Amino acid sequence: MNPRKLRLRSLLGLPIALASFYVAAQTTSTEPPAGRLLASNCFQCHGYNGKSSIGFEDLAGESSSEIYKELLEMRSKVPPKMMDMHARGYSDAQIRLIADYLSKQR
Amino acid sequence: MNRRDFFRLAGMAGIGASAISWSRLASAATPPQLGTVPTNTGISGRVVVIGGGMAGATVAKYLRLWGGTGVSVTLVERDSAYTSNILSNLVLNGQRTITSLQYGYSNLATRYGIRMVKGDVTAIDPVGHSVTLADGSKLPYDRLVIAPGVEFDIYPGLETAAAQAKVPHAWKAGVQTTQLRNMLVNMKAGETFVMTIPAKPYRCPPGPYERACVVADWLKKNRAGSKVIVLDANPGIIAEPLAFKNAFDVVHKGVIEYHPGVTINSIDASTMTLNTNLGNLKAKVINAIPPHKAGKVVVANGLANAGGRWAGVDVLTYQSTAAPGIHVIGDASATTQPKAGHIANQEAKICADAIVRLLAGRSPDPSPITNSACYSPITADTASWLTAVFAFDPVSGTMQPVPGAAGEAAARSQDNYNEMFKWFNTLMEDSFA
Repeated sequence: MNPRKLRLRSLLGLPIALASFYVAAQTTSTEPPAGRLLASNCFQCHGYNGKSSIGFEDLAGESSSEIYKELLEMRSKVPPKMMDMHARGYSDAQIRLIADYLSKQR
Repeated sequence: MNRRDFFRLAGMAGIGASAISWSRLASAATPPQLGTVPTNTGISGRVVVIGGGMAGATVAKYLRLWGGTGVSVTLVERDSAYTSNILSNLVLNGQRTITSLQYGYSNLATRYGIRMVKGDVTAIDPVGHSVTLADGSKLPYDRLVIAPGVEFDIYPGLETAAAQAKVPHAWKAGVQTTQLRNMLVNMKAGETFVMTIPAKPYRCPPGPYERACVVADWLKKNRAGSKVIVLDANPGIIAEPLAFKNAFDVVHKGVIEYHPGVTINSIDASTMTLNTNLGNLKAKVINAIPPHKAGKVVVANGLANAGGRWAGVDVLTYQSTAAPGIHVIGDASATTQPKAGHIANQEAKICADAIVRLLAGRSPDPSPITNSACYSPITADTASWLTAVFAFDPVSGTMQPVPGAAGEAAARSQDNYNEMFKWFNTLMEDSFA
């Protein structure tokens, strides 16, 4: 079972044992989430984890494919606005990691 | 500072110049978009951070957000609030006040559990892993992060405090910024404002050119016939050359006089005269921005191993190349990246991520990316912008600009000017709120 499903179950207040298992699993994993450091390049303008109330477009929870598509489109815009220029700084694989990370934030 | 001021400053983080009342503040809860410190990361350690500017505040916050409650973070800062250098040129034309640029530390303490210690560092023991403060107390650490910003050389002739007050640099936002604003307002029509730009590297590459534009724009509207004479130690405009060349030659034509490659030999504050390689120049106002070096704590503790002026670091972790266990971030470090608040925030995140990994017995991220971004006002209602993305180059071991991902705005615009405040407010929220 993947961690996201586990999280959903524990949030639903289903089996307490399952919820504690989730906590235990987190305690033993010190691996930072993939894409987090890369995606933190977005936070200066889009807020922590892409959740913005005062800044530019809110990114958290957008679908991964939507973020990926938007960033790829920006790379070819001429003349580039600031974000179009910025998008040119990341490889396809890096954009995929960023998009996946932001899409998981709620 | 009284209690009310403290809370007012604290509440300003993230909302820029917006006025906020004491009563609203008292009931303000943590905004839902901000993160919370996790309790279950399984990572533990003690980190001391010296300096609560853009880099120091951000690293403290992200060490907690990413490291969790097991990573204790103590932030040592001598001031009660941080005064933003970003937007401080708008104090000169009266669009902002210095107090509107101040950010307190209570969010970092209450929302993220960062221990704030007000004080001055007198010694660092890199072997025993502790920091000594002026009151004699010691702070033990597993990892130390130093983010002191910059210190200035003193131009010959400006050795006394009185001379420095007559010829302010206003390059650390604060009292001098307001002094320079007052000097500008006291100018009469037809008088001259001279500013000097030091050789790079200095804090905020476009900043001095931006200042020349903001001052020229104000003088044009308020003191007819006055001039801004820019004496640049560099061989040409070093940031946003298109925008500033256009600003100097077209937008502010006849008001800004730009001279590259100028050496300042001395400045006489009693006669308000600069002695330069081009000869002597007298002015009503002299705004002399001196050459920069890393903050005192870096130099005093043997960490300035890059030309005796800056701290050499490994950009995968920002660990000093002079002392293991000590990291130097922001303007004080010697990297290929610009010295500026936005990128200091990202260096801080890389450093926080690396420290959290190191405390967990892991290796740092092998391919970090940083980005630099800023807006530069050209007039009181238009701005240009500048951005660059840097990626780690394993061959040189440095951060290198990604080809095709660095550049400036095609033209100044009112949209850019408005976006500038959105950018500023979010950046400050990411660092202090």
